[in-house]
Amino acid sequence: MSAITSIEQLGKYREQVAASAKTDLPTVMVCFGTGCQANGARPVAEAFSKVIAEQGLKLDVNIGIKTTGCHGYCENGPLVALKPQGILYLKVKPEDVAEIVEKTIKGGQVVERLIYKDKTTEQTIAQYQEIPFYKYQHRIALRNIGAIDPTNIDDYILAGGYAGLAKALKMEPDAIISEVERSGLRGRGGGGFPTGTKWRSCVAVGSDTRYVICNGDEGDPGAFMDRSVMEGDPHAVIEGMIIGAIAVGAHKGYIYVRDEYPLAVKNLRTAIAAAHDKGLLGENILGSGFAFDLKISRGGGAFVCGESSALMRSVEGNVGEPRAKYIRSVEKGLYDEPTVLNNVETWANVPEIMVKGADWYASLGTKGSKGTKVFSLVGKVNNTGLVEVPMGISVRELVEKIGGGILGGKKFKAVQTGGPSGGCIPERLSDLPVDFDSLTEAGSMMGSGGIIVMDEETCMVDVAKYFTNFLVGESCGKCTPCRDGLPRMLDILTGITEGKGKEEDIAALEELCEVISWGALCGLGTSAPNPVLSTIKYFRNEYDAHIKDKKCPAGVCKALITYSIDAEACTGCTLCAKKCPQSCISGERKKAHVIDASKCIKCGVCKDVCNFNAVRIA
Amino acid sequence: MEKVSVIIDGKTVEAVKDQCVLDVARENGIYIPSLCYNPEVKSSGGACRVCLVEAHQGGRMRLVTSCNYPVRKGLEIKTDTPFVHKIRKGVLELLMARVPDSDVIAAMAAKEGLTETRFRKDEGELNRYKCISCALCTNVCAEVVGVSAISMEDRGADKKPATPYHKPSDVCIGCGACVYVCPTGAITMKEKGDVRRIWAKDFKMICCSVCSTPYIPEAQVDWIVKTTGKDRSFFDKCPDHR
Repeated sequence: MSAITSIEQLGKYREQVAASAKTDLPTVMVCFGTGCQANGARPVAEAFSKVIAEQGLKLDVNIGIKTTGCHGYCENGPLVALKPQGILYLKVKPEDVAEIVEKTIKGGQVVERLIYKDKTTEQTIAQYQEIPFYKYQHRIALRNIGAIDPTNIDDYILAGGYAGLAKALKMEPDAIISEVERSGLRGRGGGGFPTGTKWRSCVAVGSDTRYVICNGDEGDPGAFMDRSVMEGDPHAVIEGMIIGAIAVGAHKGYIYVRDEYPLAVKNLRTAIAAAHDKGLLGENILGSGFAFDLKISRGGGAFVCGESSALMRSVEGNVGEPRAKYIRSVEKGLYDEPTVLNNVETWANVPEIMVKGADWYASLGTKGSKGTKVFSLVGKVNNTGLVEVPMGISVRELVEKIGGGILGGKKFKAVQTGGPSGGCIPERLSDLPVDFDSLTEAGSMMGSGGIIVMDEETCMVDVAKYFTNFLVGESCGKCTPCRDGLPRMLDILTGITEGKGKEEDIAALEELCEVISWGALCGLGTSAPNPVLSTIKYFRNEYDAHIKDKKCPAGVCKALITYSIDAEACTGCTLCAKKCPQSCISGERKKAHVIDASKCIKCGVCKDVCNFNAVRIA
Repeated sequence: MEKVSVIIDGKTVEAVKDQCVLDVARENGIYIPSLCYNPEVKSSGGACRVCLVEAHQGGRMRLVTSCNYPVRKGLEIKTDTPFVHKIRKGVLELLMARVPDSDVIAAMAAKEGLTETRFRKDEGELNRYKCISCALCTNVCAEVVGVSAISMEDRGADKKPATPYHKPSDVCIGCGACVYVCPTGAITMKEKGDVRRIWAKDFKMICCSVCSTPYIPEAQVDWIVKTTGKDRSFFDKCPDHR
C-alpha cells in the first residue's frame, strides 16, 4: 500500500475503494465483538465461508462475508446481519448457516426462528432497524460499528472516514477548537468537562511539547462502550486524536487501554499500522507537513488508572497513583508537559463534528448536554447491550422502550448509573432526563454511561455494599480517607446486611461519607460515597427494615431471610427435596413439603427449581 | 521570586508564588498539623490528609491539603473553621483505627478532642505497626538518598513500604533516613556493637578514630564516596571530632 500524499488524493482514493467495493454486493455481516466471539461467532463465520464457497457456482451473485465490530445487542449473540435484506438474525449457530443461505440469501425468505421476538408482546421483527433496541437509537460514536470491518482501513475510508481529518488540516488550529467548543461536546469519560475548553486551556500553556491521550481504561462494572468502539471502529478514535493533536499542537499521543481488552489492543494496533501505511499518521500527514505519532500503552488492570493523573503516571511507567490536581494536567500532565486527556467515546465523536459541523451536533441533546451518549444497559432488563441515544432521553424510555421492560415482568425498582462513582435513582424519578446535570442533581452521575437496571428483588443495602466492596479493592491506598474510610464503611454495611445493624449506623455512614468525599485525594475517593449516600437518600426504608426489623424486604440478605414452602401452592412433586444440597426438605409425594430452617443454608435452589412458585422468602 | 499576598485566617501575609500553604502558615506562626510532609522531600505530602484547610478562591471553597497547595494571588485560606476541624477529626479517627498503638496519632487526635475511635481497629493479624503508609520513607529513599531500597507495595489498606520481595535489599545503604523522617516512628532500626540492623539487613558500622563510637555504615560511606567523590578519609572521625 502506498501512502496518500494529499487531501485531494484521499478523496480520489475513497472513490477508487468505492468503485472496487461494489457496494451493492450482498453481504453477510457476522458480529466479531468480544461478546459474540465468546458465544461462538467464529464457527458461524467459518460455516458461512464454507457454505458460500461450496455453492458459489450455483449462486447468481458473489457474496461478501464481513466480520464486524460489536452490534451492541450482546445478549443475543452471535448476531448475523444481512445486506441488502436488512435482516438481523440472533443466536445463530453454525448449523443454521445452510438454511440462511438457502432461504434468505437465495430465496429472499425469512428464517422465522432466528429473528427477534418481543418477550412481552410475542411480536416478531426481522428488520434490523425496526427492532425496538435499535429503533430509538441515534448513532454517532457507534456510527460505523457493526457495519464495517474494523481491521480494514478501506472500509473506514469508504464510510467517510478521515474526511474530518482532511477538513481539519485545512483549518487553523484555533478554528478547530472553536468548532468543538460550539458543538457543546463534553467529556464522555464521566466528568463531563467541556472538551473544547480543555483543549483551549492546554494551548494557553506555553510549551514546545504537548501530548494527547485517549483514556481507554474502562473499568466500571457493567460498562463496555469504550471497548466496543476500540474494537469495532478503532480508526474513529485515531482520527479524533489526530484532529485533537492538530488543534493543540501535539506531535505524540498515547492510547491507554486496559490489558483485559486484548481484541481492542489488537484492532487498535492493526489500525495504527494501517494509518501509518496510508500516510495518515507519522511525519507529514496527508502531505500537510504536520507530524503526529500514536502509541498504545497497556494498563495493568487497576481501576484507579482511569483517573487522569494516575493514568499518566502509569503511561510514564510508574505506579498508577493519583496526584493532587491543584495544577491541572492541561498545564502539567504527562512527563510534566501540557496534556489533553479525553475518553474513547469523546475522541470518536470528534471526526463527525468536523464533518457535519458544530451546529448539527449542538442540535442534538439538551441545553447543557449536547449530542448523544452511549450507554451500556445491563441488569434486570429484557434487552441488554450497548445503546446510543440523544442526551435527555428519560430513564424510563431507556428501560421500557429500548430495554423492553423488566425481566420476567417484575417490578422496576431503580437504576444505578455511573458505576461505582455513581448512585441509584429510584423508579419514581425515572422520568428524569439522562444528561450530565440532571443525574448529578439527583445524587448520581453520568459516569462513563453504565446503566444497571434493578427490580424488586434487588436489595439496595446489598447494592451499596457491592460497590463499596469493589472500591475497597480498588483504592490505591495513598490517602487516608479512601484507604481506611472505605473498609470501615464496608464493615458497617456488612453488619447491617447480617442483622447486626445499630440505630447509629446511618449517622456513622453519613459522617464517613462526608470525610471521604471532602477529604480524599482523587476522584475515586471523592465520589466513592455516592452509592451509599444515594441509597440512604432514596431507600432509607430498606436500611431501616434491615436495622430495626432485621428484615431484608427484597429477600436478598441471607442472615435476614427464611425460606418456607407454601402448603397451598406445593404439589408435592419432590423436585426441591431432590435438589436441596442440605437435604433439609422433607415431605411425602403429592403432599406439601417442609423446609427444616435449622439446616437451611438459604442457597435458594428450591425456589429456583420450583415450578409452582411455592417457595416463599420472608 | 515572584511575591504574592494571601490571606490566612484573616491575616494578609506575603508569600512566594507557588510556595505551599503549610510552609507559609508555619512562617507566620499558624499551626496546621501534618504527618506525611517534609519540606526537604519534594515528592512528599498529600497522603495523610490531616493538614486539610479551606481554600477560598474565585467565589469557590475547596478543602485542600495545605502541604502541596500552591499559593496564588487572591487566595484566602482558613485553617480554623468548624468544617476543617470536623473533617480533620474524621481523618484522625480513621488513623486511630488504623494504628491504635501510635502515640503520635493519639496526641494529634486529642487536640481535636478525640480520645477513642468508633471504628474497627486494625489489630491482631491486621496490626499495621504504627505505619500510616504515607510514603514519606520511600520518597526520601528515592529522592534524597537516591537508592530506592524500599517502595510502596500492595494497594488499599494493605499498602506499605517494603524491600523487594521482603528480602534484604541489595541497594540499601543502611543510612536510616527512612527512620528519621517517619512521622509515627514505625520503622525499627537497632544497633548492637558495631552492627546496625534495618529492613532485615545487617550493616557494619565505621567507628570514630577518636571516640571509637560506631557512627556510620560502611555501605553509606561507599555510596557517598561514589556519588559525591568525597575523600574516604573524611569519614574516619565522627561529626563531633572532625
